[in-house]
Amino acid sequence: MSSFQILRLEYSACVEALNEALRTEDEKAFFAAVDHIVHMREPGMFGELRKLTGDLQKALERFSIESKLADFAENEIPDARARLNHVISMTDEAAHHTLDLVEQSGPVADRMAKSAASLIDMVNAYRAQSTGVQGFEGVARSIDAYVPVARAVEAFLPAARADSELIRRNLSEVLLAQGYQDLTGQIIRSVMKLVEELEAALTDLSRISGDVGEHVSMGESHGHGPAVPGVTKGEVASGQTDVDALLSGLGM
Amino acid sequence: MSKDMKFLVVDDFSTMRRIIKNLLHDLGYPNVEEADDGKTALPMLQAGNFDFLITDWNMPGMPGLDLIKAVRADGKLAKMPVLMLTAEAKREQIIEAAQAGVNGYVIKPFTAETLKEKLDKILGPGK
Repeated sequence: MSSFQILRLEYSACVEALNEALRTEDEKAFFAAVDHIVHMREPGMFGELRKLTGDLQKALERFSIESKLADFAENEIPDARARLNHVISMTDEAAHHTLDLVEQSGPVADRMAKSAASLIDMVNAYRAQSTGVQGFEGVARSIDAYVPVARAVEAFLPAARADSELIRRNLSEVLLAQGYQDLTGQIIRSVMKLVEELEAALTDLSRISGDVGEHVSMGESHGHGPAVPGVTKGEVASGQTDVDALLSGLGM
Repeated sequence: MSKDMKFLVVDDFSTMRRIIKNLLHDLGYPNVEEADDGKTALPMLQAGNFDFLITDWNMPGMPGLDLIKAVRADGKLAKMPVLMLTAEAKREQIIEAAQAGVNGYVIKPFTAETLKEKLDKILGPGK
């Protein structure tokens, strides 16, 4: 027996009771039959309503998650790509700058070591030569032999000083160049935060049920990280000169 | 101001702390301590007889701006010279930092000359 046949049996009994009540003008029986029909229909109707409400809720959740994902796809992901490209160029620049300084300093240090070595040879040769020298003539010869050594020392010292200063300057530059780690680290952290948010949205989408994760945003006082060309919005100081001009405008 | 003055360098990146510490050494300030955010720095400042604060802005925990506000609100620390050394370069942020009471603002990446210049300016002639 099909479900409709069952329904027909149930409802026809009610319809008959309804007809009978009309025929006999029995008001009480009439309303009892009507109530019975309504009562029979209620569970199905409420079930349908519940299903409809559930579907609507899911559709709304899906819409909210999908618009979040659309925002990720349209804005956040291209921004993240630009940020990561900026990281690549900053690390590239810092690495090359460091390598340039190392390459520039190496030969300077070599030159200084070679000059010092040849000076040591000269001093040793002079010492060997002047050992056992006696008498005025010997002393005179010894002084003559010392003159080129003195000249070499005289030439070496200022050169060694200039070379050492250059190496020291280059080392300071190498030190400063390492600042890229801080700046790129901040950018990478912001991209990691975006990846976490994206992961949460995708998880929500796959579940569709339950609460949609709240977007946790840090207060303004936490800062925005390094300015990324083409990504950072608003007025950004282009360098220290801009900052100084702004602050002096404020009376600092 | 003497070269013995005690600095506190606050930055969440240890490489940047090393850079600043080295530069301060080169400038003749060997007495430098470090903290990795405002939350760690504030009790150190309150306990440690520091003469100068150099802080980053963007740090987890307590950011530099909140640290500066806390320093300015603390009777004992209110007059301490503060240099903000940060990558934050938005105009409104620089103004906000000035309003919070920084004595100098240097943006990263920076040079040794800029740091020296700002320290000299803050500490005044004859230091």
